[in-house]
Amino acid sequence: MKKMTAILCAATAALMLTACGAKKEETVSIEITDLAEELLETVTSDSLSETSESLIPSIYYLDEDAVASAVAYASSGATSCEVAVIESADTDDVETVEEKLQSRVDSQTELYSSYNQSEAARLDTAIIKSAGVYTVLCVCDDTDAAEEILEAYGF
Amino acid sequence: MAQERRRRRRRRSEFAFVLKLIITVALVIFIFEGRLIYTMITFDSSENHASVETEEETETEETQSETAACVVTDSMYLAGLADAGISSDGTGAETETEPLTEHDTVSNPDSAAIVREQAEAVDDSYFSDAVFIGDSRMEGFRNTSGIKEGTFFTSVGMSLSSMTSKEIISDGEDMITVAAALSGSTYGKIYVMLGANDLGEYSWSEFKSGFISVMNRFQEIQPDAILYVCSCVYAEEDKVDTGDYINNDNVDSLNSVLLEVCEEEGYYYLDLNEVLSDGYGSLIEDASTDGVHLSAEYCKVMLDYLKTHYVVTGTDDEAADTETESETAEADEE
Repeated sequence: MKKMTAILCAATAALMLTACGAKKEETVSIEITDLAEELLETVTSDSLSETSESLIPSIYYLDEDAVASAVAYASSGATSCEVAVIESADTDDVETVEEKLQSRVDSQTELYSSYNQSEAARLDTAIIKSAGVYTVLCVCDDTDAAEEILEAYGF
Repeated sequence: MAQERRRRRRRRSEFAFVLKLIITVALVIFIFEGRLIYTMITFDSSENHASVETEEETETEETQSETAACVVTDSMYLAGLADAGISSDGTGAETETEPLTEHDTVSNPDSAAIVREQAEAVDDSYFSDAVFIGDSRMEGFRNTSGIKEGTFFTSVGMSLSSMTSKEIISDGEDMITVAAALSGSTYGKIYVMLGANDLGEYSWSEFKSGFISVMNRFQEIQPDAILYVCSCVYAEEDKVDTGDYINNDNVDSLNSVLLEVCEEEGYYYLDLNEVLSDGYGSLIEDASTDGVHLSAEYCKVMLDYLKTHYVVTGTDDEAADTETESETAEADEE
């Protein structure tokens, strides 16, 4: 009887934990502009400007239909710093978005390697993270601060 | 007699009282206003002292500047640059600052290849069939100008040689050449911005033949496209720390070559320095943080320039005529 009770308790606890995890993923809701603006504060070596939303899919090689909304801040060309927050149309698209953002980082790293080594090194610390339908790319100066901001937003 | 003595005593005591009163008042004034009195007394002498110090400092500065001028003259003489505005008359050296002179942004202002300002600006839809090819400056333009339409094949560090042969454009999976990227779709306009990474790399004749070859290749891939060649934008030399080769004399030489190519090959030259020059052969002060890449404000200026500097082709005219005719026909029917 005691064994049965213990097994039941364990199963209930496991179910509760699973439910919590699923609930967290579903309920992540973010104002992407607010998040991007906060991440912008972690870029101190450059003054980034907002890029037209219509150009974001082509910059990050994304399928337009897969993007629900997006905001990006990019450089004048002087540094490799950039901040992008993408809201996917569906959770199934998130993985692809992550892959494409990684492609962007890889190609930029390759190009900066023969052009400006310090900017190539900065790209090594690029942050790509997802929560719910949101994916973030952050190439900045203060990565610790960026990680803290992302944690606060549920990433 | 006794009365006389009393009077004297009274006078003495009155005098003593007045004297004590005066001393007390003087002490009070000295205690509370001593600092002010001291300042008033010493003011004149300190003023004199200050004027003497100023004179001494001026004399020292004059001596130092004379010494510096001598050093500059000597070193320039040694470098064989004594004719660069420095003269020596044996009694001392004088430096003459060259006055800034107005500077044309193009070698041939009357060239038919230069795109002139149109009366009406186009909107972003004009760029919907345009492809922009260029280096980090063009990438900065895409990122910060606010342009909403257009395809961009940009790559940091793009030069004539890398544009010609290297795989420098990412398609999201692989790196491909500019020519391969350009072959992927049909475009009505091609904007090319190149040069910042080519300054000092080649002889100008070598650059010219290479540039002609690339432009002709682009036109071959997109035979119906209007080919715009953007001038190399001036730099703010004092801020540039990437190498002496990025200087405005080189920019002028490069732009002369670009304009010649446009004249000879029938391409269109966009003189961006018309709105980005300070008028004296340099980039507008503070238009860039590093002296090379334009800030967002000036990328917007560049976008406005592109919107007012475009070529009206026969096809555009025909399209406009057709539109007008159909509008007239509709009006008649009504």
